[in-house]
Amino acid sequence: MTALRALVRKELAVLFGSPVAWLTLAAIGLVTALLFFDHLRIYNQILFLFASSTMGGFESDTVPAYVNLRDQVFLPVMETLALTLVGLIPLITMRVFAEERARGTDELLATTLLTPNQIVAGKSIAAYAFVALALALSFVYPATSIVRAGLGLPHLLAVYLGLFGLGIALTSVGLVCSAFTSSQLVAAISAYAVAFVLYDFRWMAQFLPDAAARAIDPLSMHLRFGAFAEGLVRGADVAYFAGYVLVAFALCRLAHDQARVR
Amino acid sequence: MSEQAPRGATVEATALGRRFGDRPALAGIDLRIEAGESFGLLGANGAGKTTFIRLLTGYLVPSSGSVTVDGFEPIADARAVHERIGFVAETSRLYPELRVRGFLRFAGGVRGLSGAPLRDAVDRALARFALEDVALRPIGNLSKGYQQRVNLAQAFLHDPALLIVDEPTAGLDPLQQADVRRELHGAAGERTLLLCTHDLGEARELTRRVAVLSRGRLVACGPTAEILGAGDLLALFRGPEAAA
Repeated sequence: MTALRALVRKELAVLFGSPVAWLTLAAIGLVTALLFFDHLRIYNQILFLFASSTMGGFESDTVPAYVNLRDQVFLPVMETLALTLVGLIPLITMRVFAEERARGTDELLATTLLTPNQIVAGKSIAAYAFVALALALSFVYPATSIVRAGLGLPHLLAVYLGLFGLGIALTSVGLVCSAFTSSQLVAAISAYAVAFVLYDFRWMAQFLPDAAARAIDPLSMHLRFGAFAEGLVRGADVAYFAGYVLVAFALCRLAHDQARVR
Repeated sequence: MSEQAPRGATVEATALGRRFGDRPALAGIDLRIEAGESFGLLGANGAGKTTFIRLLTGYLVPSSGSVTVDGFEPIADARAVHERIGFVAETSRLYPELRVRGFLRFAGGVRGLSGAPLRDAVDRALARFALEDVALRPIGNLSKGYQQRVNLAQAFLHDPALLIVDEPTAGLDPLQQADVRRELHGAAGERTLLLCTHDLGEARELTRRVAVLSRGRLVACGPTAEILGAGDLLALFRGPEAAA
């Protein structure tokens, strides 16, 4: 455990030693803030229009049910934050294995007490921890939704669990892409390609027979995240995101072993 | 009075071979390095020196034969082997973002040190390699000479029985080279030293016995003075096929 802890610390130190991590955190904070206040501004305008007795024959204070903080502000912000993760996470994961291999420091790691499983686990844990931190930074604005609109903590936690699941899945994709190359550019581009395909399969349905389209639809990350966004925490969705971690671990381990025998 | 056992680890390669695709990088290497010995592995670029080291550290898997450290195989008994070895690569193989002390703490941590023993080991290494003044500076901001001192320091943290050093003075100026050689000279005798180099002066200064690799084959092995003092060394580096 000492060796694993040292590796996780080193990974985080190397990550925060580069501007990419700080820029990513700043981007997530900024995007969330801008989106939140923009949606809040629009929501207030809509609210004002509907509440006005001079508009469209509505009586004062008769605002339709769908004009609420949850649907007009909270969920759109979370939806866009999910897309932001697709754009930013490959920038973090691209270096995890590829940079180590390109620098030759993987040879140094191979002479330590770390086992191959610990190397893969340590690097993955650090990357997942970074995603958790990034999401924690975005928490403040949705949290105000709870306070002001009484959305309910369980719903907010469900959405954040979904976002974390999505972040974990995207990070897993990025880790695998980084594990099979020594080029950070190749790792990032391949991670974007795979992530965009896996994020939403529905575009593919038009090219496939109905049965095939129905079969691949549940594999879409967006669909799984959508359930959490509605406040539903289902075992199948949790298992889906956890599956990415297991598959990524197995593939990263395979890449590690291949490098030793090829 | 009983004779004290020599410090250091024994290295033994038996019919060791490694191929990359169809290309043999090492073939049929039989070699024994005794405990406490300062041993040089010589050869031109691409001769197979680094491949030998990578097989010894377990970074690569042999295609044939075996190599052991104190009887332990690097893949099957990785922990036993890695507890015994310290590895110094070229200076570029470091983490430029990390500060010197932070890097040494990491290097000690991944070798199982923690708490007070880790702090003590890091402090000792900083003092031994005169790194105290730069302990809080990022490695990337240091000169190559200082970077190589950091590299040496990390390899000594756990007091290894076998020190493996791959091209330790590559890219250093003469003063920095002398600095690194002095440190390695001090380390020799306390443990087994395996020096991988194509610098004959370095081999002469630091080793007692050398092996010469050429195109993946062992073409000579014996006392340093004898091997380096005899005949046409360049022909030896080129190998028997080239001579024919």
